[in-house]
Amino acid sequence: MSLPTAALRPWFAASTRCSSRTTSRSVAAAVRCQSTATASSEPRRLETQADWEDFRLQKGKVRTLIDTFGEYGSTQTEETTFHLRDSLHKPPRNATVSALLAAGAHFGHASTRMNPNFMPYAYGTRAGITVIDLDSTLPLLRRAANVTRAVARAGGQILFIGTRPDLKPVVQKAAERLGPRQGYYVGERWLPGTLTNKREFFKDQNLDSVRVTPDLAIILNPVANVNAIREFALENVPTIGIIDSNVDPRLVMYPIPANDENARVAELIAGVLSIAGREGVALRQEDLRNQVFVEDKKARQRPFNGRRGA
Amino acid sequence: MLRRQAVFSLRRCYGTTASLRQAAPSSQASRLDDLRAGILGRTQQPTANTEDADDDVRKFKLPPSSPSFYTARPVFYDQVAQLERAIATANNALRRAQLLPLPAFARASLPPIHPVWQTKEEMTQHFQTKMTLARYRKVTKLLNELNDYHRIANTAGVNDLANKIYSIVSLFESSKKDAFLARGKRKPVVLDVYGRSYTVGKRKTSSARVWMIPVQQQESSSAPLPMTTILVNNIPLNEFFPLPADRERITRPLKVAGILGKYNVFSIVRGGGTTGQSGALAHGIAKGVVAHEPELETLFRRAKLTRRDPRMVERKKTGLAKARKRYTWVKR
Repeated sequence: MSLPTAALRPWFAASTRCSSRTTSRSVAAAVRCQSTATASSEPRRLETQADWEDFRLQKGKVRTLIDTFGEYGSTQTEETTFHLRDSLHKPPRNATVSALLAAGAHFGHASTRMNPNFMPYAYGTRAGITVIDLDSTLPLLRRAANVTRAVARAGGQILFIGTRPDLKPVVQKAAERLGPRQGYYVGERWLPGTLTNKREFFKDQNLDSVRVTPDLAIILNPVANVNAIREFALENVPTIGIIDSNVDPRLVMYPIPANDENARVAELIAGVLSIAGREGVALRQEDLRNQVFVEDKKARQRPFNGRRGA
Repeated sequence: MLRRQAVFSLRRCYGTTASLRQAAPSSQASRLDDLRAGILGRTQQPTANTEDADDDVRKFKLPPSSPSFYTARPVFYDQVAQLERAIATANNALRRAQLLPLPAFARASLPPIHPVWQTKEEMTQHFQTKMTLARYRKVTKLLNELNDYHRIANTAGVNDLANKIYSIVSLFESSKKDAFLARGKRKPVVLDVYGRSYTVGKRKTSSARVWMIPVQQQESSSAPLPMTTILVNNIPLNEFFPLPADRERITRPLKVAGILGKYNVFSIVRGGGTTGQSGALAHGIAKGVVAHEPELETLFRRAKLTRRDPRMVERKKTGLAKARKRYTWVKR
């Protein structure tokens, strides 16, 4: 074991250090000297501002290279390339069967646990799991999107509920898309009595001046939120929900048969629904503008029975 | 037809994607400003909106202003969401500045941080909800992460970003932070207008109030050895402490520092006996020397001269002749 080769292969020095008992003392001593030598070649601590600036420049060399030559290479840039976060931040407007398949929306629960009322939406069984028929999912999703768009267009309050830690950013983003006065979310536990015991929960707000009951509720994990669904039923709030194969689809008004365990499916479905809602909000603005325009036109067309002149 | 209309109206509202990106704030720092404003202005009054739904009763009601209204704790969840967004923004900004991810050796170069967050009661007022331990821990976890980003930005010299992060973090810092961090530390001794230090030394039940002033050196008439005066209760040292052991104890701090002829000492000593008074005087002199020459602080601490000797006379206990002495054991 010569010194130069050990220096070139620090992993080699490490392995000999481990088994130093079997080697001779002089070799072990040499190995120990080498390990201290490799330790000194590690970067020093950063003490001054200049050290930190050098460190940042060094680190930024690769990024600078990419940025410089990025213009001359492929047309795929940071903006256009695929990211894992795109399913949350840039969902599609319309879902397709292939997108649902890729997200794993067709995986149901165990066939032994299948709810008999779910039969119309089941494709079959494979490996003890109910496979959900995505050809039935797609039109139901489109129907739910139409409902969302219509409610948003009418100025309704839409509430997104996703009470799992991985669903929280999904519902937050979905509510954000609808804007401050029409999009709402519940990312953590739904407190039972929020709607049926309003006086207790919303003491500080003047309940006579604030609209508490939402106009539409979209629930991404309805099995865990049966309390909320019951309250919505009592308060006559229409509900949309992701229904898995072990759940009765009549639980919500507009069921969407899909896998409720997967965050990707929830991102896709909530994305589609929130984009439809955003369209509804925009259509509402359009309607209001048209209304103002029409009223103005009518006012101008009325017979002029006022004073004449300037 | 409807879809085309919808898309058309959507484009009119939001513009094309290119203009969208331009309209968005280009720098992360300005986004942090907005988040700070959002955290400060936590309760927003809903603005009047007369053009609402068809229902007569609901027509005059306003929709709730906070998106987390249905959690029944809107202020808390909104603030937490703002903090999470601030963390994401700061993370992004640090990545662009090539400061994240930080390798181990760079992280070891960062100075230690000692955050002192508001207590649960203070945060209850801030968030307008009862702060349980779980909620408090969640908030402090987010604040610690943000504080860590501030430390990185500050150490690396990216001052603009560091200031903006600090402006958010400081909203949650306790008002008693300085007091808390200074706990257990000695108050620094200041010299008065004449250059005198005033310190107090204690030993057993004695206390010594010590004033020290540097000796004025006369160049022409200076003796080979500089002469100083040590007065104890207006009596010179050798008269007040006849025993050499006591004198040795008193002059030890000056000998250790090698400044025997440098300071004049005047002290008032009360309480206890000779050993206690000499120990108290030594303690006071050591503190006075450190006040005049702060570089000697480490030396004196290592020599245990600035340490207040905690040994006090132990009380006598019942059933024992003295503190520890037991009566003679009798077999029968």
